[in-house]
Amino acid sequence: MTNAAFSTPDDFEHYWTAVAEELASTPASPEVEAIPMRETDFATLYGVRLSSIGPYRLYGYLSIPKGTGPFPAIYWAPKYQSVLEIIPQGTENGTRSRFVTFSLAGRGQRNSDQPFAAMFPGLLTVDIDSKDSYVFRGIVADAIRGLEFVSAVDEVDSSSIVAIGNDVALQAVALAGKASHLVSTPALFFDTLALAGRTESYPLEEVNDYLRLHSCRSEQVAETLSYFDLRNFAPSVKAETLLMAGPAGSALGPEALPELASSIPGGADVYASRQSSYKDGLHQERWVASKLGFDGPIVPAHWR
Amino acid sequence: MAYFVDPNYQTKARKPDDFDEFWSDVVSQVERLDLDPEAVPDPLRSSDEFEVFQTFHTSIDNVRVASWYCVPRQREGPLPAVLVVPGYQSDPGIPREWARRGYAALSVAPRGKLRSNSQFNPGYPGLLTYGITDRNIYSYRGFYVDAWRAVDFLLSRDEVDGMRIGVTGSSQGGGLTLCTAAMRKEIVAAAAGCPYLTGYMDSIELTHTYPYEEINDYLRLHPESRELVEETLNYFDCINFADRIDCPIIVNIGLQDNVCPPETGYALYHCISSEDKRLYAYDGQGHSAGRHEHDAIVASFFDRHVKGEASND
Repeated sequence: MTNAAFSTPDDFEHYWTAVAEELASTPASPEVEAIPMRETDFATLYGVRLSSIGPYRLYGYLSIPKGTGPFPAIYWAPKYQSVLEIIPQGTENGTRSRFVTFSLAGRGQRNSDQPFAAMFPGLLTVDIDSKDSYVFRGIVADAIRGLEFVSAVDEVDSSSIVAIGNDVALQAVALAGKASHLVSTPALFFDTLALAGRTESYPLEEVNDYLRLHSCRSEQVAETLSYFDLRNFAPSVKAETLLMAGPAGSALGPEALPELASSIPGGADVYASRQSSYKDGLHQERWVASKLGFDGPIVPAHWR
Repeated sequence: MAYFVDPNYQTKARKPDDFDEFWSDVVSQVERLDLDPEAVPDPLRSSDEFEVFQTFHTSIDNVRVASWYCVPRQREGPLPAVLVVPGYQSDPGIPREWARRGYAALSVAPRGKLRSNSQFNPGYPGLLTYGITDRNIYSYRGFYVDAWRAVDFLLSRDEVDGMRIGVTGSSQGGGLTLCTAAMRKEIVAAAAGCPYLTGYMDSIELTHTYPYEEINDYLRLHPESRELVEETLNYFDCINFADRIDCPIIVNIGLQDNVCPPETGYALYHCISSEDKRLYAYDGQGHSAGRHEHDAIVASFFDRHVKGEASND
């Protein structure tokens, strides 16, 4: 499969430098508060409030293993879903004994929904006709802020940080560095317009809905999306990367991603989904464990 | 040695003596309320093929409950209908695939979900343990009723054939499918995927993953409440609704499900009263529970039992 031609906006660097400068001038002002309900024998959980550009107040869950650190860290970047999870559904809770974990709700997600509460579907196209006010400009900044925060936690081994998420995780790692490893599942910003035209499923269907109602804004939408296309970020990803592709033959299947993978200087493996959350999840867990030097992953009983 | 899933697993769920009385009282409370159905066209999500509406109805405690409602534009006569019930943390989708197949389809967002959270919003995590020591205030008392009440919304629509309504969902949607099929005799067929809210007290020992881990978190902080928690959950365990299900039903589970232990799926299945029932147990599948191939089975099952098409089986 050949990817459609794409272009890098002339002011791509300038656009994201401006975001970085705006973020740098926005104090994070972290507030960290223990949550006794979620404390275990092996980890303590904290709720964290942080500021991102706007300024906008965000919320995340920070888990720190008991015992002597430093510990490797897992950072779950903001997702395309309303719910903020402590650790992703189905992840063995014992993972929190090995890793510092930090999950962050981007603006619009639950816990980060004041004053903006996103709708699903809906988030992907909020102000998509303007690159300067597009909601994901802020969400990428949020993700960077989260990465900066976790990398500065005292208990974290800053040489072993895995960022996990969708496109936003890749974008944040490209712009901020900080992560030694990256697991990214492209879903939103890889050749978006072309892939939207080949699907009727959300979230990309949001773009089709938007253009059906606002066809006169197609050029502005294309312009905005060009600032978010993963192919423009990949050359800046220094982290060793695992790209989680869809199943073979699907729009975001392994055939679509080799060029993206080869342009990542940190090196990237492409994994094709086997349409099993068990097989796909186990592969990811094993990849992370092996890359960070563990004998094996900590997985749920039914995966052993 | 690989983990072994016992298909004859014995559940800890016990049906309280006054289970039927409790739910009869709850249902009578909601039946006294005006449904007040409202359907607001959503041009952004509609197309030449189907109309999409944001809908609302009143449920127990006077909570307004939102849904997505989708109907094919080209239709003749009353439509068969499908009620789609959501997972725990996913937001209800727009059920356009069902409309494309010729159904009126309602995807309900019970209280606490987006668009239904202005009056009740325990959060995530939080929903699973809100009020867990008292069956009269437990979150799922209203949450279940919101799903059941969605059937009344479908019955209020002129274009819906009230004799042909099915219900389906996975995970939490699987649990909601089970209790809806049990409590609403208008349901003529049900398809439940990897049911959650099924074997609560079993699951917190069989797995240590969220969302069930919320209960372990609660009991760690409130160990003195364990008996009350067990007592409450027995009123909500979908295993205890299963003997009221008498419509055709299919259930799918993943034998490597790390969220809803497959043992509880087996235990549930054995308790279903319906003589027309079938279990699909997918090896090599986690919480996805074989969705990529099972979706077509569900569609065919509904075409046969809800739409009334002849079987090719």
